[in-house]
Amino acid sequence: MAEYTSEDNKLALKVVFYGPALSGKTTNLMQLHSLLNPERKGELMVLETRDDRTLFFDMLPIGLKSNSGLDLRLKLYTVPGQVQHDSTRKAVLSRADAVVFVADSQPSQQDNNANAFGNLEENLEKVGLDIDTLPLAVQFNKRDIPGAVDETVLQARWSVTPWSPLIMASALHGQGVIETLRTVLDRLYTEIDNEFELANRHGIDRSQFITRLSASHEVNRA
Amino acid sequence: MRSFEDDPTLDDLLTAEQLQRLTHALSALCRKSVTITPHRQDDAVAVEFNLETVGWLSGGASPGERQAASELVSFLMMFIAKYRLAASLHHDTTEASYAELQRQNEALRASEARYRELSGQLQQRVDDQVEVIQQTQQDLYESSRLRSVGHLAAGVAHEINNPIGFISSNLRVARDYLEDLQGLVPDTEANRELLDDFHDLIGESVDGAKRIASIVSDLKTFSSIDQADYTPCDVNALLTSAIHLLQTEHGHQLHIMERLNDVPKISCHPGRISQSLYNLLDNAAHALLDAKPKKGQGRILVKTAARDNEVDIVIQDNGCGIPDASRSQVFDAFYTTRPIGSGTGLGLTVAHDTVRAHRGTIKIDSREGAGTRVTLTLPAT
Repeated sequence: MAEYTSEDNKLALKVVFYGPALSGKTTNLMQLHSLLNPERKGELMVLETRDDRTLFFDMLPIGLKSNSGLDLRLKLYTVPGQVQHDSTRKAVLSRADAVVFVADSQPSQQDNNANAFGNLEENLEKVGLDIDTLPLAVQFNKRDIPGAVDETVLQARWSVTPWSPLIMASALHGQGVIETLRTVLDRLYTEIDNEFELANRHGIDRSQFITRLSASHEVNRA
Repeated sequence: MRSFEDDPTLDDLLTAEQLQRLTHALSALCRKSVTITPHRQDDAVAVEFNLETVGWLSGGASPGERQAASELVSFLMMFIAKYRLAASLHHDTTEASYAELQRQNEALRASEARYRELSGQLQQRVDDQVEVIQQTQQDLYESSRLRSVGHLAAGVAHEINNPIGFISSNLRVARDYLEDLQGLVPDTEANRELLDDFHDLIGESVDGAKRIASIVSDLKTFSSIDQADYTPCDVNALLTSAIHLLQTEHGHQLHIMERLNDVPKISCHPGRISQSLYNLLDNAAHALLDAKPKKGQGRILVKTAARDNEVDIVIQDNGCGIPDASRSQVFDAFYTTRPIGSGTGLGLTVAHDTVRAHRGTIKIDSREGAGTRVTLTLPAT
C-alpha cells in the first residue's frame, strides 16, 4: 500500500517484479539500475544469491522531489522465482502498489509462466490484494532467444485480459526494460493520482510522473 | 525493526558501541575528529542510505573530508542494511509461516475433535441400530413362528370342527338309540354284557370327542390371538365363571379358595382372557391330581388385587410343581408333560400370548413337589 507520511511529506510506493524462476527479474532490475537516470536513484541492493539465483529479493530505490516538496519514493523489488521460496514471495508482495510480471518467451517455459501467474493471483489474494484492480504490466522477456514464441501469438493470447498489450523485452540487452517500467508507472498513476492528489496538490501530472521517474541515459544521449 | 521494508534508522543499523568505534576510526583517518548523530548539526552532511537520510556527519577538517567520510559510512551502511534486510525478511516469513502452521494445527485439532465426536456418535448409532435389528429379528422370528403355528392351528381347527361336531352329535344320538335297543334285545347275560360294553364304548367316545372339541377351541383361540375385540371386563366375574366351568369338568371335587378383591375393570378380549384363566386353573387342577397319591387332597387359591393401575391375578396350587428342567419350556407351543392325548401343549402358550397381547405379564413361580404360583398382571383401564 502506498504510504504517505505527512511530517516528512513523503510518499513511498512499491513495485514488485514477479514471475517464474529464471525469467530475468533480477536482470530487469540491474538494467534499470544502469539505464535509468531519474532525479534520485539509490544503490541496487542484491541480497544473498546462491548459484546466481535470488534467495531473498533485490531492491532498487528511485525517487523524485516535487516543487511542492513531496518526497516521492519508488522501491522496485524482485521476488525469488523458485517454487520453494513462496513465503518469501508472499512477504515481498505484501503491500505492493503495482506488479510487473516477467514471463519467459521460450516455448518450454509457457507452463511455468501460467503456474507463476496463478501463484501471483493466489498470493495477492492472501496478502489482501486484488489482481483485477492492482496496476499490473506483463513483460515477455528473452525475445533474443531463437525459437521464442511468436509475438502475435502471445499478444493474441493475452488480448482479452486487462493487461494487454504485452511488452516484449530482452532484458539482457536492455531492450523493453524501460518501456515495461513506463507501462506500469502509467497504470500506477491512474490508481494513486486521485488519492494523493499528485496533479492538483503536487503538480505532478501523468507524463511528469512517468518521465521523471524513468529518465534514462539513452534519452540524454539522444 | 518493524517490517523488513521499513527504512532503517541509524539505531537500527548500528549499536551505540559500533557507532562509537566507527567514528573513532573515521576520526583517526581525518585530520579532525568526526561525529555521526541522528539529528542535523551546523556543518553536517547527510549520510544517505537508499535515498533516506539516516544520520548526519559533522566535524572533520574540511567539507571534502566530511563528504568522503560520509560516503564511506554510506558504503558501509549498505552492507549492514543488506544483512539486516535479509534477516528481517527471514524473521517476517518465519513468523508468518509459524502463524500459518499454528492456525493449521488448530484447525487440524478442531477437525480431529469433530471427527472423534462424530465417530462416537456413529458408534452409538451403530449400537442402537444393531439393537433395533436384533429386536426386530426377534419379533419377526416370534411373529412368524406364531403366525405359522397360527395358520396351521386355524386350518386344523377349521377342518376338525365340523366332523367333530357331527361325531359328537351322532354319538349322543347313538347312545339314545342304544337305550332304545336295550328294551328290544332279549335280556340275556351275554346281551347285557354286550350292551353295557357298548354303552361304555360310546361314553368314552363322547368324552374323547368332547376333548377334541376343547382342543379345537383352544387352537381357535390361539390362532385368533391378534383379533381385536376389546371391552371393559370385570376380572372377578371372568374368574368366577372359569372356576365354575372347571368345577363342572372335575365333578365339583376341587377345593378352590376364592379371595377376590374389588379391582378396576380392565380392557380385554373376554373370551381369550377367560380361556387363559381356564387354562391356568385346569393346569392347577391337574397338578393337584398328579400330586394326590402322595399328598392327598390339595387346594387351589385364586386371588385378585388392585395395584397402581394394574390388576394382579394369582392362581396358586399346592400340587406337584414344575420340574426345573422343563420350566424354561412351559410357554413353548405344543410342549406338554402330560400323556399323549390328554393335553395340547397350548394352554400356557395361549395364556402367555394373550397376556402379552393385553400388554400384561405372566410370571410362574414353582418348586417341584411343593406347588406352583402363576401371577398375571394386566393394566387397568
